[in-house]
Parts: sequence; structure tokens; C-alpha cells
Amino acid sequence: MLALQQILGGLATGAIYATLALALVLINRATRVVNFAQGQMAVLSTYFAWALVQTGLPTAAAVALAIVLAIPLGALIERFVIRRVAKEAPLVVIVVTIGLLILLNGVAGFVWSQEIKPFPSLFPTGVAQVGGIAMSFESLGIVAVLVALVIALQLLFFRTRLGLAMRAVADNPESSALSGLHVNLLLMTGWGLAAAVGALAGCLVAPKVYLDPNMMNQVLVYALIAVIVGGLESPLGVVIAAGMIGVVENLAGTYVDFIGNDLQIAVPLLLMCAVLMWRPQGLFGRAEKARV
Amino acid sequence: MSAISRIWKSAPASRVPALLWLVGTVVAAIVPLLATTYTNSQLSLVAAFAVAILGLNLVTGYAGQVSLGHSAFLGLGAYSAAIATAAGWPALAAFAAACAVPSAIGLLVALPALRLGGHSLAMVTLALPVVAVPLAKRLSTLTGGSTGISASPLHAPAWTGLAPDQWTFYVLALLAAVMFFLAGNLTRGRLGRALSLIRVNETVAASVGVPVYEYKVQAFVCAALFGGVAGFMYVCAIGFMSPESLNLLISLNLLIAMVVGGMRSLLGSLLGGAFYVFLPELVSFAGTTRSGVVNIATGASVLLVVFLARGGASSIVARAWGQIQARTRTQRF
Repeated sequence: MLALQQILGGLATGAIYATLALALVLINRATRVVNFAQGQMAVLSTYFAWALVQTGLPTAAAVALAIVLAIPLGALIERFVIRRVAKEAPLVVIVVTIGLLILLNGVAGFVWSQEIKPFPSLFPTGVAQVGGIAMSFESLGIVAVLVALVIALQLLFFRTRLGLAMRAVADNPESSALSGLHVNLLLMTGWGLAAAVGALAGCLVAPKVYLDPNMMNQVLVYALIAVIVGGLESPLGVVIAAGMIGVVENLAGTYVDFIGNDLQIAVPLLLMCAVLMWRPQGLFGRAEKARV
Repeated sequence: MSAISRIWKSAPASRVPALLWLVGTVVAAIVPLLATTYTNSQLSLVAAFAVAILGLNLVTGYAGQVSLGHSAFLGLGAYSAAIATAAGWPALAAFAAACAVPSAIGLLVALPALRLGGHSLAMVTLALPVVAVPLAKRLSTLTGGSTGISASPLHAPAWTGLAPDQWTFYVLALLAAVMFFLAGNLTRGRLGRALSLIRVNETVAASVGVPVYEYKVQAFVCAALFGGVAGFMYVCAIGFMSPESLNLLISLNLLIAMVVGGMRSLLGSLLGGAFYVFLPELVSFAGTTRSGVVNIATGASVLLVVFLARGGASSIVARAWGQIQARTRTQRF
């Protein structure tokens, strides 16, 4: 029974990693960039939500507004920072997103200080009991939000003209431009969308870990692992990988004495290294063939 | 093919001439005698981080292989030196440990990791500090856990009449000079040219007979070794090591300092070390104690460098030096 409880608990944590990982996948689909600043952008949005809650807005409305506000943030970063370097060597792009990470971390610390702040949960407190297994409403709520998000993204990408256009731009920007698509606008949309998904991840994790400028660093590491394990192109693969990571980590932390709470993070990292050696494109990713 | 043959033939020559290095040496010899203890320990730290950034330059700057795990090698070197010193080993033995342990771990990591490239390598190396911090806390009998470990390997001999901070600075400056000399030879020689070619185009490198994988592994192990030496220097300068000095954010800041100082440049590594140590000083000197300002300045600096002066501070210095030379030359005529 304890094992099942641990598995479900792991799934709930995995769902948070999955949300941020989905944001990373969206960005990679749009601009072929691994955005190390994704977590820090989410922190900024979470602070917006916190500030809105302080003005007396209900939590749900504040979070919704922060998510909407994240869209222009992401779009502006794409337009004015990423676009200038997107076609360059990975080193340049990595350095720019890391610079952005440190910069935005500084902005959050400057405006809201390093002091940790409680953040209200979107879900009621309490526990659902089903056959001896207890799940908090919060965990259930997070998993439900993730499922809804995955469905919404699938509908967006495969059932709407906007999604079709975004897939076309990701696949072949030159041809898309020639067939009359607004490539630049669509890239900005991709980043805006990713920032919105990241903002959601931030608002989901903040009630658990409290809000501070470094809140997402750990989550970002997990999300990056999920992205590598699941495959950069595969939203579903990433979600499965994130769930797996949450579960494996929870089980190892509980049942393997040496690992315990503090070394939990080593488990998914080893998993990631194994996957990279064996299937560098990720469990669900397509191998990319480079032309010489 | 012409671009490739240019890289292949031309050594990436240091554009800042010997005169500047000479002036630097004289200044480095005099300043510690006049400066405060605090300034001297800051200068020692500059030497340590300059060597760390120099190592990062070998693998990331020259070979183009992104490493986000450099703070782990720095930390391994620092812990090796601190633990060896606390166990009563002499400074030279502690130094040897600080070289050997990071190099060995570096080789273990490099052998599988350098089969990957680009973002994947960044991810694997990112894992190192993320695991190293809790591991260092866990192995508390060895590392002193979260509270850290105190050790000072260097002691000024009585005949010098120097204070500990002055002696430490001189030893570290000399050590840094040796490391810079070694790195200069490495990068100007066969390895450096091969690494530049690997960075620009791996396929071409392989096709002209460069053993790409072996050289990447060599570069990574050299970087780990330099990181370890820097760790030894760090312990000498601070006298203390704790898990927080392994943090991933330090790796990220080292990468940023390397870019701001100037990639693929000895002078750039030195300027990067100065940037790393003095930016927080500069911010507090400017009168702000508010949190976040240092990070804003760091992030903004690296974005500005990438967008406006890709070669970093060292390229600005080199360009200024070139202009001075051009002007004196026209005056002569």
C-alpha cells in the first residue's frame, strides 16, 4: 500500500516537472533552442500572480491573468533576444539563455527580495481517500491540470490552423515563409505559448516550495532531464518521462537507504545518462540525420 | 576550404604583446606589498578563478564543447586539497591530490559524455554539480558536511618576512602564470589547432585526420585538471571549502565570466577572473546592497557582450592596443 501511495505521490510531482518540460518542448519546436531561462521566466510570472493576489484578486483569477501576461513576456524575449542568435552555434544560444536566467533571477530578487513568500494553492486543502490510498486534492488537481493541458496542446497543434502553421514553421521556416506564413509572428507565438505554460508550472509548484527567486532551479533541472529522456520533439514522451522520473525518484528515495531525501536527484540524472548513451534522441524522439 | 586551412595553419596568436605582460608582472609584484589583507585575498581569488576560466576555455572556448559542470571540478580540487591538508599532508602533496582527483573523475565523465555534443553534453555536465552538492553534504565525515572544512595549505616561511596574505598571493600568482604558460603552449600547438578545427567543423576535422573524440576527451580532462588546480588555489586564498562552492550557479557564472572576459584568449581568462571576483565588489562599492543587482549586472553584461562585442573584454583591449600602435607608427613617419 505504501508503495502505491509513493507511486501516486511521484506522479503528482512528475506532473509539475512535465508542465515545465512541455514549455521547453514548445520552445524547442518553435526555435530549436533549449531554453535554460524557462524556469526563471516562470518565476517572474508567479511573482506577477502573487502581486495580483496581494491586491485582493481571487487566486484562480490572479493565476489566469499571470498566465496571459506571460505571453507578451515570452514573445518579447523571442523577438529581441533569441532571434538575434537562434541560428548560431549551441554554445552562443546556451550562453544567452543562461545570461537571461541570471538576469531575470536578479530582476525577481531586486523587485521582490530574496525573502520567501507563501503562495496560495489553486486547490482546496484536504485529502481524498480511495481504498486505503490517500491523495491530497492538490496532487489530484495538479495531475488533472496536466491532463487538460496535454489535451489542449494536442487540439491546438492538430486541430487548428494556428497549430498547423506553427508546426509548418518548426518543420521548414523557409518554405513556410514562401507559402505566406508570418514566420516571425509564429515564432513569437510559440515562445509566448511556452511562457504561458511555464507560468502555469510556476503557479503549481509555488504553494509546495514557497515563492522565492530560486524556486524553479531544481524544477528546471528535472524538466531538462525529462526533456532529454522523453525526446525534445515529443510532448507525450516528455510527459511520460516526467511521470516516470517523479515515481522512480520517490521510490528510490523511500526504499534505498543510501539515497534518501537529499540524493534523490541523482536517480533521474543517472537515468538520463543511461538514455543518452543508449538512445541520444530520447526514448520517444526521432533521430535527426545531419547532412554533411 | 580556405577558411579551414587558415585555422589549420595559423596559430591563434596572442595579440597582446609581451610589454603588457611585463607591466602586469611588475604591478603584481608591487601591489600586494601596499594593499590591505582583504584586497590581497581578493587578488588571490582572481588568480584562482582566472585559472578555472582558463580550463573552461580549453574545453568550451577552443573545442566548443559546452560544459556546465566546471564548478564540480573546481570543488573536487578544493575538497581534495582541503582534506589532504587537514590530514597533515604538505602543500605539494595537497596540490598533487587536487590535480589527480579531478583529472581522474574528468576522464571517467569524458569517456562516455563526449560521444555526445551540443545541448546533450551541456545536460550531462550540468548533472555534475547538481549531484555533487548533496553528495558533499552526505559524505560529512570527509567533507565536514554543510558546515564545510577549513584548511590553509600555504604558510609563509619566516625568512621572507611576508604576511600570510602576501605570501599566498605570490605563490598563487606564480602558479597561475605557470598554468597560463602551459595553456598558451597547449592552445598554440597541435592540440589547440585541432580543437579549433573540431569546433568549426567536426566532419572536416575527422576527414583531415584529426582524432576528434580523443582530442575532445583530452580537452575535457585538461579542463578538469585546470579546474582542480583552481580549486587548490581557492582553498589557499579562502582557507575554507563548503558544498555551496560547488553550486551549479557557480558553473553558470564561470561560463558567463569566460564569455565576458573573452573566449579563446589568455588575457580574456584573466579578465574573466577579475570580472567574476570584482563585479560584486563593484556593485557594493556603487552603494547598492539590494539583492539581485549583482545578478542583473552579470546577466546584462553577458547579453551585451554577445550582442555587441562577441570577443569580450580581451578583444576590446586588443583593439585599443592595436589603435595605440597604429597611432605611434604614423607619428614615427
